[in-house]
Formats: sequence, C-alpha cells, structure tokens
Amino acid sequence: MVNTHMAQRDWRYYLNRGIIHFILLFAVLFYLLPLIVMVFTSFKTMDDIRAGNLISLPTEWVVDAWVKAWSSACTGVKCEGVEGYFWNSVAIVVPAVLISTAIGALNGYVLTKWRFRGSEIFFGFLLFGCFIPFQVVLLPMAQTLGWLGLANTTAGLVMVHVVYGMAFTTLFFRNFYVNIPDELVKAAHLDGAGFFTIFWRILLPISGPIIVVTIIWQTTQIWNDFLFGVVYGSGETQPITVALNNLVNTSTGVKEYNVHMAAAIIAGLPTLLVYVLAGKYFVRGLTAGSVKG
Amino acid sequence: MAALDIEHVRKVFGGKTEVLKDINISIDDGEFLILVGPSGCGKSTLLNSIAGLEDITDGVIRIGGQDVSRKSPKDRDIAMVFQSYALYPSMNVRQNISFGLEIRKIPKEEINTEVDRVAKLLQIEHLLDRKPSQLSGGQRQRVAMGRALARKPAIYLFDEPLSNLDAKLRVEMRTEIKKLHQNLGTTIVYVTHDQIEAMTLADRIAVMKDGILQQFGSPQEIYDEPNNIFVAGFMGSPSMNFVPTPVQKEGGMLVAKLTTLEGTTFSLPLGDRGNVLGKYEGKQVILGVRPERISNVSADGNPEDSIVLKSKAGVVEPTGPDTLVHMNLNGIEVNCRVDPDYKVKTGDPLEVIMDLSKAVFFDKDTEARIV
Repeated sequence: MVNTHMAQRDWRYYLNRGIIHFILLFAVLFYLLPLIVMVFTSFKTMDDIRAGNLISLPTEWVVDAWVKAWSSACTGVKCEGVEGYFWNSVAIVVPAVLISTAIGALNGYVLTKWRFRGSEIFFGFLLFGCFIPFQVVLLPMAQTLGWLGLANTTAGLVMVHVVYGMAFTTLFFRNFYVNIPDELVKAAHLDGAGFFTIFWRILLPISGPIIVVTIIWQTTQIWNDFLFGVVYGSGETQPITVALNNLVNTSTGVKEYNVHMAAAIIAGLPTLLVYVLAGKYFVRGLTAGSVKG
Repeated sequence: MAALDIEHVRKVFGGKTEVLKDINISIDDGEFLILVGPSGCGKSTLLNSIAGLEDITDGVIRIGGQDVSRKSPKDRDIAMVFQSYALYPSMNVRQNISFGLEIRKIPKEEINTEVDRVAKLLQIEHLLDRKPSQLSGGQRQRVAMGRALARKPAIYLFDEPLSNLDAKLRVEMRTEIKKLHQNLGTTIVYVTHDQIEAMTLADRIAVMKDGILQQFGSPQEIYDEPNNIFVAGFMGSPSMNFVPTPVQKEGGMLVAKLTTLEGTTFSLPLGDRGNVLGKYEGKQVILGVRPERISNVSADGNPEDSIVLKSKAGVVEPTGPDTLVHMNLNGIEVNCRVDPDYKVKTGDPLEVIMDLSKAVFFDKDTEARIV
C-alpha cells in the first residue's frame, strides 16, 4: 500500500511541484526585472548604456555614477549630489516616526482601555483622517506652519508628518489593544497601578509586533513622501525624494541614466532595508490578533 | 464585625437600564459568599462594584466597617481573581505575584518572602520563572490566586475563576479553594453561574436574577426553603419538579390532587400546611418537590408525610449512582430519582414513594413560596 502510494506520488507530485516552481520563478524574475535593470545601469558607463541593451550586464563595473549621484550630481542649480538631502530625510523621518508612533500608542491605549463618553465618535473622526487626501490639507497646513513659524523648517515637516501619521498609528494601536483583554488592565488597576504604570509595565511590553508594524509603515510613508516635502521644505530642508525629482528633471546636458538610477536606488534603500530587516515582524504583526494571556 | 456590607445598592446604566436593584447583603469576617445567577443577572456587576471597577448609582458598600463606595479600587483592600486569570503576559510568575507589592513600595526582601510563602502555599514554586504562556490552565489559575493571596487583603473577589477549566480540573480546584478558605479563614466573594459550585463552597449564597436579589441565605436554606420558583429551579440538578395542583377539602382535611396519565388520582394530605394553604382552597397552587424525594425507597422521616404513587415509567436515564425516571403527574413530566438496582424500563409499571416532608408550595401567579 505504502509503496504504490509513494510510486503514484512520485511523478505527479514532482510534475506539480515543477510547474509551481516554474511559475513562481517567472513571477520573481518579472518583479525583480526593474530592480535588476536599475542596478545594472547604475554600474555602467554612459558609453556602455548607449551600446548595450537594458538587461545586459555591464561590460565594466564602475561606481562612478554612484559617487556622482551621492556627492556631485546637479539637483537644480546646486551640484552637490543627494547626500545632504539624504540626511535631511533621515532628520525628518526619525523624529516623525518616533513621535507619531508614541502618540499612536497612547491614543490607542486611551481609546480602548480608558474609554470616555464619545470616545468611539472621537475615534471615528480620527479614522476619517486616514482618508483625507494630502492635497486637501496643503493650504491650511501651510498657513498653520506660517503662524507657528515653522515654514520651510525640518521641524515643520516633522510636525506635518506626525499630524498626518497620527490617524494611522492610532488606528494600528487601537486595533491591537482592543484585542487585549480588559481584565489585564483591571487586574493592574487593583494591584495599584496607575494610568502610565499600566501602559508602561503591562501594555508596552506586549506591543512589540504592532510597534514594528507602525514603525515600518510610518518610515515608508514619510521617507517616500514627495508632496509635503516639495511644498513645505525649502532648498535646505528638502527630503531626498524632492532632490531625486530635481536631479532627474535637470534638463541641461545629457541624461545620465546611470546617475539617475544610482540616485533612485539610494533614495529607495532605507525603506528596502527596513523591510528586509523587519519584514517578517511586519507580516507577523499584521496577523497577530490577540496576545494569549 | 461585618467584613462586607452592601446596603441599598443600585446601579443604573445610561440613566434607564437598572442592572442592580436595591441589593442588601452582609457577611461576617471569614465567610464565603457566593453570588449566583444566570448570565445577565448582575452578579458580575455587583462584584465589580465591590472591587470599585464600576461605580454604583446609589447605596453604600462597606468593607470592614469602612465606607468604600467612592474609593478607588486600589484603596479598598481587596484582591481579585479574574475569569481569564489576567496574568501579565510579559512577566514571569514571580513578577506577576510581586507586581502589586512592588507598586505598593514594599521592601524587596519582604516581597521575596511573600512570593515564596504564596508559592509554597499553592505549590507553584517550580513555576516561578515561567511565563504565563508556558503554563497550563490549572497552573495559570493557581498563579492568579497567588497574585491575590500575596497582598493579604481584607476580601478576596473571585469572578467565575473555574469556568475556563475542564470538568475534572474544575472539581479539583473547587476542593482546593475550599481547603484554602478553611485554612486561611479569609473572606471571599465568589461569582459563579454553577449552582454546584455555589452549594459546595458557600457559607452564604446570594441568588440573583434581573438585578434583583432573590434570596440570601445558607446553602441549605436556599435548597430547602427557596423563596420562589426561580430559586427553587436554579439550585439543584436535576431541577425541582413543579406540578400545578388543585387544593381541595377531602374528609375535613385539605389535600392536593395528583392525577397520573392513566387517570388515577392521588390525594396528598397537606397536614399542617393546610393552615396556610386554606385560602387557596378550590384554587391551584404549584407543588415543588425535588427528584430525590420521589424514589423507590422511602426517605427518612415521618411516614405520614409520604404517599405511594403508581403509574407508568416514562423516559429512563441511568446516571450511575442513581437512575432518573420520568412520570406524568397533572400533565407535567416529573423527574424521580430511583435506586439503580430498581430495574424499570420505559412503559413498565412504576411504584414510587413521594416524600412530602420537604415539599414546598408556590403561588401560581406571584411564583413566591407559600409554605
């Protein structure tokens, strides 16, 4: 019995597996193709680009384009590469992500464990914030930043991202905490713990998955933002996405595809890195419903 | 001194839904109080009100003579064991037990001594370094109790602590809780919907329904002298039989009439109860008699209080220690509990003795007990 079963399994099983693997491999190649083209092109010389086709390997691997993109490519009138803008982005993303995540965690905690009259309506309105298009808030926000004296500053951009991201981070944390039994908070309450002690000692230590999800989400959103950056950042504070646009659109001279590709990869690297490092937690966090107590 | 006084406590949700209606309960130091009732009866709300997790609308709650009605939970000198155990997932067992002590700024050495004492008491010493997720249901239950015991509060509150355990473990833990109570002499308020837990554990039982305290008394009082049909039916399994029966005068004596499916009529002499039931002459009352009082063997007591009933056996349900046989009286299926050696099959002639010494009578309209 066992033997015939195994024999049957043999060819059908491997045929099925073969077909599935072939399809998957094709899909992987298809999705990776743009990245491959970008990486190859960024390591080519301009002559090589003109001579070869898109997916051919560089005849000679050179890093000139990367060096130029980083330190001497022209973004508009200035020709200092994207380095400065890269650090601008870092200076915007790090505080904006940390602050909006912290606020989201506190909001979620209050909205689930310290409900007040109208807290559901409050959450409803906050949720509405997730669906407001960027364009709608552009002018009022510009006005507000002006009043606060934060126009064209990094702090101003951080504030915009914190305010805009709060709706999402609150949503994430609220949905996570709503699955954590209220009895946990009641027990801590009876043990004599107060508002912040309960948050700090009981809820935060089990919030790992949702913190990772929120940080990845916020990092990606804020790093990739272009519109807020182009509107509220001046030359000195503009993020890398704006610089990349300026670099590619600078119309004088030849189009240096290798430099453009290198700059684009530099601009995309941090988000890519975040996914590679924390991607599995992201999936885990998204599917984590409840914490077994 | 009374350990816990609940006086005229009312709780109203949203201005109109009254979930607790004028509750009055008082227990002494060291007593085991059980709040029992079907779901939605307000027993958990009452427990949460004692804990201070919910505010009461009216009335006074006193713990050890001190009015705590408006005090915050942490100032009430209570500890609670939750249905879901509510162990802190990120802390190990030791940290779970010591958390409350730590918050109360008790010196480190004292905390360690206390944790060790509690761990020894509950036999969880070998689990102290484990996380709650690494514990079985019964172990979690012990840790939850340990957390409550560590603080030595005036009152322990238990919110359906055994309902998440499987049947066997539940019986074991029930015995342990009883032992613990006897050894430590603590005051306990315990919520359950399980009437067997209520009977076995309690010194005092408070039966609740729809936010109203139906009866408050010792387990035996509740069992033998239920205030109304609800209490009588809720306590005891299988449930008490309720047979509507007409009250008439027969040979100068008041009797209740029972008619079998075959049409045979039996007269139950009401004896002394006749004095109270006199005004129901010619009307119907509801006779309440527990299954174990209708048996093939005569229960102890006055044979004058017994009557032999002959009919046909309905459904027969052997349970092991005894067998439940159904018979029809006044159109109602009546449960009789007979000896398993009394061989009877469905349709066989059935001869049982109904012991009336503990029978009770209820008013048909108000459902309150008459006698």
